[in-house]
Amino acid sequence: MKEGPLLPENDARESALFFVVCTLCFLAALAALTAKATYGAAEGWTAEVEGEMTVRLRDVDRRAGDEAQRIIEAIPGVISARVMTPEEIEELLVPTFGQTGFPAGLPLPLLIAVETEPAAADVAPNTARRLTEEGFSAVVDEHAEWAGDVRRALGVLRLAALSAVALLIATALSVIAFATHAALLARRDIVELLHLSGARDRFIAALFERRFWMLGLRAGAVGALAALGGAAAMIFVAQSRGGRANLLPQLSLDLLDILILVLTPIVAGSAARLATRFTVMRALKGKDVTA
Amino acid sequence: MSNLDFDPFDDVAVRLEAVTMRYDSPEDVLSDINLVLKPGSFTFLTGASGAGKTTLLKLLYLALTPTQGDIVLFGQRTSLLNRDKLAALRRRVGVVFQEFRLLDHLTAYENAALPLRVLGRKPADYREDVEDLLRWVGLGPRMNAKPPTLSGGEQQRVAIARALVSKPDLLIADEPTGNVDPEMGARLMRLFIELNRRLGTTVLIATHDLALIREFDAPLLRLSHGLLARDVEFGASA
Repeated sequence: MKEGPLLPENDARESALFFVVCTLCFLAALAALTAKATYGAAEGWTAEVEGEMTVRLRDVDRRAGDEAQRIIEAIPGVISARVMTPEEIEELLVPTFGQTGFPAGLPLPLLIAVETEPAAADVAPNTARRLTEEGFSAVVDEHAEWAGDVRRALGVLRLAALSAVALLIATALSVIAFATHAALLARRDIVELLHLSGARDRFIAALFERRFWMLGLRAGAVGALAALGGAAAMIFVAQSRGGRANLLPQLSLDLLDILILVLTPIVAGSAARLATRFTVMRALKGKDVTA
Repeated sequence: MSNLDFDPFDDVAVRLEAVTMRYDSPEDVLSDINLVLKPGSFTFLTGASGAGKTTLLKLLYLALTPTQGDIVLFGQRTSLLNRDKLAALRRRVGVVFQEFRLLDHLTAYENAALPLRVLGRKPADYREDVEDLLRWVGLGPRMNAKPPTLSGGEQQRVAIARALVSKPDLLIADEPTGNVDPEMGARLMRLFIELNRRLGTTVLIATHDLALIREFDAPLLRLSHGLLARDVEFGASA
């Protein structure tokens, strides 16, 4: 004869709690997944930007540009250099001058797009120095300002994501602690009977811990899977509507993504278990659930 | 076990030393109670409603802590015990609650076996004992029924089985025959007496039933307005 659990299995309050924990886990996992994906994408942007520089030459013709290109290609750390066509330059100026194009009569600078090794040092100053030595009036832009903006934005993004995850975990803990206490009060009769039957506090706490550990685990698993679906859907929608899909975050399901998904239910279960133990032990010692 | 909380020469099952109990009101529910129950004694406790019987029983099964005074159970001074030691002491006390306190989601069998689960015993080790006990109290065919489907008398018998199942050193029963017919009442009383005589269990039964008290002719404690009629010591078996 198999004996039934000492705590009743079906409780409407636990269904509500399951939903709340599930939602919190969904939000936490979604925040972690999107933050990680966005962070990864932003890292890519920065790496791309940091591996490029633009050389602007004034008052030179195409032949002088080709000469400057050869000089640049010889500088250590430079992978390639290419003189940009007037059409490419005009396209770059569209955000400033609109589709009507660059005003006729204004001198159009000559631009050389340079691809560098990301780890190479002092390529920009060396390029500027070499061109000056060869008599060019050149300005070298290594996109430092843009890369700095991206890095600052990344820092803010990381902090915001971590704060959101921490806040959601803290909220989940508070909700679970509150729900545990409510469950404890609702089952005061059982707690009191066990207490008077000589059950130690740990024995009583373990009953609730097992229950809420399983609830946290299940709710966390459902929330994590929902977050995976949510993140995939969001990124899919963004990518299908955007013209520059390569700039958008990618959901790669790499090791870190899988770790987030696996850890979400474990963290939810463990948090539920710890919150339950703390709440039950405190309630038992405070005598608000025992005679 | 420290010397402070255990006295091996204190040969009493229960000793109340100048115990006063007060709830939130300024009036004492129990005043300056001194009481000794010797091991193996069988005692009735009676008194009008509101006299403090239930409070006295709650103090004895360690559900309450006295406002003043001290309680010694089996040589252990309860005021000096930590929570784990108090829990261990509670396991030596079987209680039949007036309101039964059965768990509705468990069967009669599971309710009766509850103290053994708390003790950590394996179901295979106690199944036969629990079933025998339930058959003895007339619940053989109702072992798998849940409390809401049991009559008041059946629920009371489950509560009694639960109190007896771990063969406690002290049995405290609050109106244990209040919901059963006289025949079953007498049968349950004989069970208590048998437990008292065979196992040396100290028994304290609170009851209004004067006929029962007369029939079994055991020492009687009388509570009135929170006072015991006199300081008493009981050592006789029924």
